[in-house]
Amino acid sequence: MNTDRRRNNAPNGGTSAPVFARTIRDSEYLEKLRPSRSRGPNELRRIFLQTSIIPSASGSAYLEIPSSSSATSSTLIPPTSCLKITASIQGPKPLPRSAPFSPSLLLTTTVKFAPFATRSRRGYIRDSAERDLGVHLETALRGVIIGERWPKSGVEVVVTILEGDEDGWWGDSASEGSAAGSGWGLLNVLAGCITVASAAITDAGIDCVDMVCGGVAAITRNPESRHEKELVRILDPCPAEHKEVVAACVVGYLASRDEITEIWMKGDVGADPDALIEGATHAAMGSLAVVKEVLLEALEAKFHGQTEGNDAGLKRKAHDVEMTGGA
Amino acid sequence: MALPSTALPGQLLGHTDKYLPGPGTHIHESQIYASIAGPVFSSPSSQSSSKGTSKSKLAPLISITRPPTSTDPGILGTNSGGGGTILPTVSSTVLARITRLGPRFASCEILVINNEVCREAFQGQIRREDIRATEKDKIRIEESFRVGDLVRGTVISLGDSGNYYVATDSNELGVVMARSGEGRLMFPVSWREFRDPVSGVAEPRKAAKPF
Repeated sequence: MNTDRRRNNAPNGGTSAPVFARTIRDSEYLEKLRPSRSRGPNELRRIFLQTSIIPSASGSAYLEIPSSSSATSSTLIPPTSCLKITASIQGPKPLPRSAPFSPSLLLTTTVKFAPFATRSRRGYIRDSAERDLGVHLETALRGVIIGERWPKSGVEVVVTILEGDEDGWWGDSASEGSAAGSGWGLLNVLAGCITVASAAITDAGIDCVDMVCGGVAAITRNPESRHEKELVRILDPCPAEHKEVVAACVVGYLASRDEITEIWMKGDVGADPDALIEGATHAAMGSLAVVKEVLLEALEAKFHGQTEGNDAGLKRKAHDVEMTGGA
Repeated sequence: MALPSTALPGQLLGHTDKYLPGPGTHIHESQIYASIAGPVFSSPSSQSSSKGTSKSKLAPLISITRPPTSTDPGILGTNSGGGGTILPTVSSTVLARITRLGPRFASCEILVINNEVCREAFQGQIRREDIRATEKDKIRIEESFRVGDLVRGTVISLGDSGNYYVATDSNELGVVMARSGEGRLMFPVSWREFRDPVSGVAEPRKAAKPF
């Protein structure tokens, strides 16, 4: 961030409400604020998705996974973070003059955290974690796009993360700092990026083999068990709700072909990594249900507007899709 | 199996024995799948087999239509959204604006492909020998086009890395709109001449035959 001399950078540090001295000193009080998972192990968080939100892009989508824990009234700090991601598709457009001939579509992915996306402020220049996410997203999408249909053209997938899942609970990072920098939140962010980019690509009308969706599964230590060693496998983990995440896995999954285009595993998986991967595909199937519903609805509005002729605005019926877990 | 009314990418549409794959679909393990989102249409193939005795009827063609694109070019003019995501293909009819004249070719930017406004202009090139079909050795670029002319042409090749190759070598193809040296819109009087309505001065162009 020191290298960014072109902009007026805000001071480094937090982007949310300040932590008062009492919360840190009084550990009993702090523990009272700790969020815990209220869903079942196979239950996903609710997902909001909408396509065609950016008129100047050929395709776009917005994904939001709201915070599942209800906010407590005793502190201003939200217990868990939400996930809010937008994706926009530019193109397919002709390649720049300098580019060499390409018989198929050139895919470029850009993933950027907004400066206010996480509790500690992000810079305006893409850092290594963002570039890493971009590469992961590109491998996930490259496997589904039929590039031969678009010779001599390029497409840009621009993903902006407005709010990212965090690596752990804020109370932990303030006291011990065990979860900070572990990168568990990045897996959730990548899964969201894959899902939202896939919806945006379908919205743009780029030929795809299937709809790719992201899903996360994790192994955590069971807080209620007496044995310290007992592990539970959960879908769609919210890292803030767990004291310790042992391992996690994100996949980009093609449901109708039963193929995986992208996989990222982290942590101590143990003897059976396949169970974790399978859990992640189940989570991906859960988000695919939402994507399908939303796209069909948008499609209906698009083609309905054509026959009516006067319905320029895309009217969506506002009803939620109830999530019932993939497994 | 009945066809679904609308399909999403990856949705199974039918077996290749029963249907032929059309635009917006792809084949995977001899099954036809959708590759874009849209309503599904199956049209019986018009080409009935030439042999009247054989009963081999061609399978109906499955295609998925793209959503219609608005014709207005976006709030900030061209290249600002609006228009369709469409690429020039060989033998598509295009409208292009001449941007530069060279000794061997004229450069142009393709604005409309098959009556659909492009989202972004594509660079094209009209080579000297592609301007008209006869007396190719006597063609002169500056007697055929001027910078700013609107030309109807057909794409003959996807070309190299930079340009699509456009030809105007038929009667219906050529300059459709041109302005005179004084900036007035001219009208065509013959296949090789445009005339200014006020001054009456004629300028040479490769004119397109009006419909």
